Amino acid sequence: MSLLRVEALHRHLGEGDTRVHALRGVSFTIEPGRTYAIAGHSGSGKSTLLYLLGLLDIPDQGHLWVGDRETSRLNDEERTAVRNEHMGFVFQFHFLLKEFTSLENVMLPMRKLGRLSEEAMRDRAAELLTAVGLADKTKRLGSQLSGGEQQRVAIARALANNPGLILADEPTGNLDHANADRVFALLADIAHQHGKSLLMVSHNPELASRCDHVFRMQDGVILA
Amino acid sequence: MTPNLLIALRFLGARKRAMLMSLTGIVFGVAFFVMTQAQTAGFESYFIKTILGVNGMVRIEDRIQSSRSLAAADGSAFAISVEGSVKYIPGVQHANAVTEALKAFPEVAAASPVIRGNATLIANFREYDTKPYGIDLASFINVSDLETQIIDGSLLAFGENPYALIVGVRIAKRMNLQVGDSVLLDGTSEPQRFRVAAVFETGIDQVDRERVYLHLPAIRALLNKPTGASFIQVNLTDPALAPALAPRIQNAISHSTMAWQDREKTWLQVFSVLRISSALTISTIIFISGLGMFNTLVMIVVDKTREIAILRSMGYTRADISRIFMLQGGIVVILGVVLGCAVAAAGTYTLSHIPIRIRGIFASDHFVVLWDPWHYISAAIIATIVVLGASYFPSRRAARLEPGSVIRGSSS
Repeated sequence: MSLLRVEALHRHLGEGDTRVHALRGVSFTIEPGRTYAIAGHSGSGKSTLLYLLGLLDIPDQGHLWVGDRETSRLNDEERTAVRNEHMGFVFQFHFLLKEFTSLENVMLPMRKLGRLSEEAMRDRAAELLTAVGLADKTKRLGSQLSGGEQQRVAIARALANNPGLILADEPTGNLDHANADRVFALLADIAHQHGKSLLMVSHNPELASRCDHVFRMQDGVILA
Repeated sequence: MTPNLLIALRFLGARKRAMLMSLTGIVFGVAFFVMTQAQTAGFESYFIKTILGVNGMVRIEDRIQSSRSLAAADGSAFAISVEGSVKYIPGVQHANAVTEALKAFPEVAAASPVIRGNATLIANFREYDTKPYGIDLASFINVSDLETQIIDGSLLAFGENPYALIVGVRIAKRMNLQVGDSVLLDGTSEPQRFRVAAVFETGIDQVDRERVYLHLPAIRALLNKPTGASFIQVNLTDPALAPALAPRIQNAISHSTMAWQDREKTWLQVFSVLRISSALTISTIIFISGLGMFNTLVMIVVDKTREIAILRSMGYTRADISRIFMLQGGIVVILGVVLGCAVAAAGTYTLSHIPIRIRGIFASDHFVVLWDPWHYISAAIIATIVVLGASYFPSRRAARLEPGSVIRGSSS
């Protein structure tokens, strides 16, 4: 069974004269354990598509299945619950909560899911931070970490609830070449080794080409 | 600790100074509210205690005659006043019978007949107009606080001498009277000589400067009133029963009966207005703090827009986001109320020890306060409504943020 499937997704953005048809009937399938890139120029609809897939937005038309559950007509609370359990996000800007340490940031999604004890959450967060090479920085606040380190904390946070799908919006867009390479390698390794799917929006053609599959977008449609 | 509470606590630190200002405002608002209420209610309750100790809880006077055929007998000294179709014959003609009838009311704790009149006090070559009150000491001390009002001399000396009197402190000062002095009272009959047995002070200026107490037999002779009483002063088991009981007594014994709440309506309204006015005035401090809280939370929502979006993306619902901001208000109001109540208790205690000489409607040498838990509960309720109301709109605004739009905006 596919991890995620979309069928004829349409989305308009803006109002009145500024209204644009951002997505024009997008359909594809995401399989477990594979890496995908969405590539295209600015305004091609990449991010709009990613937010729809992440249930952060609602399509005007079309269907979106997460596993075997059709999600395009779910209410906000139901979509949030699906997001919490099945998806992890990594954004261009790390968006760490600066009042929390690295460890506490990673624990936030787990606290919301509420399936683990405090101690188990702490252990898992420490384990994830170790996996991204930040074992010695668990007690640092976000502001005390470098850009690359902050993005790695964000990756650990995205993995906190062991989601099947990691959605990444330009995850390396704010990093230098070395850090970008390292972050991408980390994401790809996690996807391959733990059977997770990675769907990444990227401007970087070199990084995109390192994914198992590339969706090229133009004017709201995926090119063949 | 729930994740929402944890996040709320951390977010509170985002605008420490502004939040601290709001908190301080709530603390002082709550404290001042309680202190002013304690003070106004304290003065009111002390006034009530004083007035009940002087004039009792219920006063029975003026017989009611509903029919013209029952007019006063020929040669009677009583005047007849007519109000509408009801006639009032001044005084209580059969005081003993009325007192006996009052025993049918279990709420009545004590009753005492009093004869009131006018007389000129002559002493030290000076004259002074007084209102002598003839009392039966044994029963009168059960319907008044005369025992505690004595500031010089003794009730025992008054009780032992049928021609003794007790004078108000203002009369004693004006006439330069001491306990043991001899005075003349000139009423409607021949002037009679009395000895000052005691001096009383009620704190009520009018009473202290015109009232003297005599024994009932003495005043009958002085005022030439061989029978009856001017009124009967009644005490109840509970002062609050007076308004309901007075009409029942009036119906049962056909005498005009007035509860202390009606008798002192003017002063009670003054205190009531004062209390409400001070509560409204002080509440503005809490309202202004609530506005400060509103502003601070709006700023935090603006500051934390991206954090709210990321929380939403990781699974926090709109309700969670709303709760995070309501909890911030809740934390501030809990802290504000607890600290405010502590400051209020300390302030009220200090206030009660500030020396101030008050005479006029009661006598006190320090601020009078009333320790009432309802003052604290009222302040807490007002602060809670204001702060949670102020938190509601920012929390709604935070909950309505669309994470996709925020993140798209931040990324671009």
